[in-house]
Amino acid sequence: MSGTTTNFPTQTASERWERAVPVYGFPLVNGFFLGLLALVVIAMVLTGYRELAGLGPVSGMNDAYGWGIWKTFNVMVLTALGSGAFAVGIAAWVFRRKRLHALMRMALLTSFLAYACGLLLLGIDAGRPWNFYWMVFPWKWNMHSPLAEVAICMSIYAMLPLAIENIPPVLERLWYFDSRLRPGVEKIEKRLYSIFPYVIAAAYLLPGMHQSSLGALMLLAGERVHPLWQTPWLSILYLGAACFMSFGCVAGTTMLCCLIWKRGMDMEVLDDAAQITSYLIFGWMGLRLLDILFRGALLTAFHLDRFAGVFWLEMLLVGFGGWLLWQSLKTHQKRQMFLGYVLSSAGGMIYRFSPTTLAFRPNPEALYFPATIEILVSLGFISLGVLGFLIAVKRFAILPAPLHEWHSMANYFRFRRPYIRWTGYFKYGHFGEDEVEEANS
Amino acid sequence: MAITRRELITGVAKVGVPAAVVTTVGASALQTETIPVPSAAVGLLYDATKCIGCKACVAACAEANDTPPDTRGDSLHQAPSDLNEVTRNIIKLYKPEHGSGFSFVKRQCMHCLDPACAAGCPFQALHKDPESGIVGWTPEKCIGCRYCTITCPYHIPRFQWAGFNPRVTKCELRSHRLEKGLKPGCTSVCPTGAVIFGPRPVLLIEAKRRIQESPGKYYQDRVYGENDNGGTQSLYLSAVPFEKLGLPELGMESVPARTLRWQRRFYQYFALPALLYAGLVQVIRKNLKGHEQEAHEHEKQTGLRAQL
Repeated sequence: MSGTTTNFPTQTASERWERAVPVYGFPLVNGFFLGLLALVVIAMVLTGYRELAGLGPVSGMNDAYGWGIWKTFNVMVLTALGSGAFAVGIAAWVFRRKRLHALMRMALLTSFLAYACGLLLLGIDAGRPWNFYWMVFPWKWNMHSPLAEVAICMSIYAMLPLAIENIPPVLERLWYFDSRLRPGVEKIEKRLYSIFPYVIAAAYLLPGMHQSSLGALMLLAGERVHPLWQTPWLSILYLGAACFMSFGCVAGTTMLCCLIWKRGMDMEVLDDAAQITSYLIFGWMGLRLLDILFRGALLTAFHLDRFAGVFWLEMLLVGFGGWLLWQSLKTHQKRQMFLGYVLSSAGGMIYRFSPTTLAFRPNPEALYFPATIEILVSLGFISLGVLGFLIAVKRFAILPAPLHEWHSMANYFRFRRPYIRWTGYFKYGHFGEDEVEEANS
Repeated sequence: MAITRRELITGVAKVGVPAAVVTTVGASALQTETIPVPSAAVGLLYDATKCIGCKACVAACAEANDTPPDTRGDSLHQAPSDLNEVTRNIIKLYKPEHGSGFSFVKRQCMHCLDPACAAGCPFQALHKDPESGIVGWTPEKCIGCRYCTITCPYHIPRFQWAGFNPRVTKCELRSHRLEKGLKPGCTSVCPTGAVIFGPRPVLLIEAKRRIQESPGKYYQDRVYGENDNGGTQSLYLSAVPFEKLGLPELGMESVPARTLRWQRRFYQYFALPALLYAGLVQVIRKNLKGHEQEAHEHEKQTGLRAQL
């Protein structure tokens, strides 16, 4: 690994991300993988227990705090981290930041996993999940309910546009897998790309709607949400937080993966992402502070209580993270940039978590702390997402890499693992030369 | 002359953009935001100065609803500590630490004219009856999301935490008794007439009569629920401040009308989202074409299959 702290005044051509390449040469099953698997299995068993025993025995939820971390962390916070398909996608497709297309597959995958795991847990968190079938009848929806908006929009988004957007890497793998599949795959691809504008547009409209409605959820709670958080702008602030957090998640995860699996980092793309993220962060912080100022809630930030503490922690993390990102544009230090992403996303997570939990005051005596089972299930569903991520990046072309990675991968499989049939990604024509040969013969 | 696609799109946009903006911004003009009182609104009038705290209504409520007595306190008496999954109605005591001015309070669903629970309920499991105005719960529609326990400003609906088939419990004025011509359980047993049942307008007149008869007796000479939170169908009279009894001062406007104004306007007839979608499709269609072209050029250069 070329050191993480060295300066990169100029971009070397060989580091340029040209192509998504599967992670090869690392075993899929290792200690970390098995640990995650164990957590998932534990969560599944506990989920079975929850379905029989009800929510009370397994969670710390009570009459005052009707929502626990399953909703407030796994859905509210993690889908914000998983809005990459929305935020990075809009930057790439609508605002034509072309280099960001290199990050799109990572964004789509992380989004899909975050949403899928969040929705699964949402189904477990619902007390009467069998009644979800009402979702099929639009005339039974309560169109003005933010929660209906969130539940319906999220399910449709994750199951249709987001899932469809994730199909190309799968088709690509089939294309390389066996040359006999190619005509069929190409036919499907052609059809897929013809509906893509409609799919992609839906994939930006729907998350825009439900990420803001997640904020609108707590509007109805009125004064029980601390004035530092309760504002008519809650929806916009939630959406804004999702934007910069998801940039942090996508770019940060990509950097982490490059570090772990020893890949070159394209500072041109990462700088682009860091620049957008820092703009988003400063814009968001400005809106948040102005809103607090104009509502006259600023004084409550100087009370000596937990709310002020949470507020300043959040502001400090987001602000410092944004500043680090801004600095990293000048210094080109990867470490600084990565830390900037981590801190700003952590601050954003605290923000998204607060209105429902940390800053929610149903009554003075009320307390909520998640029960052990609740935490284990929550962790299990996060592990499920990470597990899915590990499988996907090692089997599909997701992670961006310099061009030479593709060739060395092909060589690796040709010469060192010729017996692995199912990784036959590269069996046929990684250079595309087979078509030529077939045409000649 | 045939209309080209471009002309069609720009034409639609020219009409659509102003139309969508008008429906969104001017929604208040199109749809009155005043809350209608149901035609046959029934309700309760609770006079805290008359209540002696005998809790007969608590037992009668449990009986009328066929719920088991909550004896979890001392496993002998029916003494629920608060509203819970078997208690729809409760008598509480407000007693300040220093001296006099104590008051009982009966807590049950307020049957708001614009209920926040029903405004948030995703599939209309909590639904306000358009005639009687009773806010009822339909088990077949409830997904158990517990949003009602968060939105209700009076903190009334309670979720059953144990069991695989949880229910939401709240006062429904025993609508099946009303159909038979009976009164709700609580009002049929009250020995002092502290809680009475009747049509909302009648109850309002009665409450105002009581205030007129003894001015200064009641807090602010005001009926809680006449206008509070947009108006409720359970009305309260009290000698101590309503806030002390757990009835927050919410203002004249209902909670959903106040907080969801822009949310509601944005989704009015789905006009603005539809417009946004159409615009996005146009932009992305154009950009996708360019992106595909670039990818294929790159494919020719490198000899590697394009990754879109």
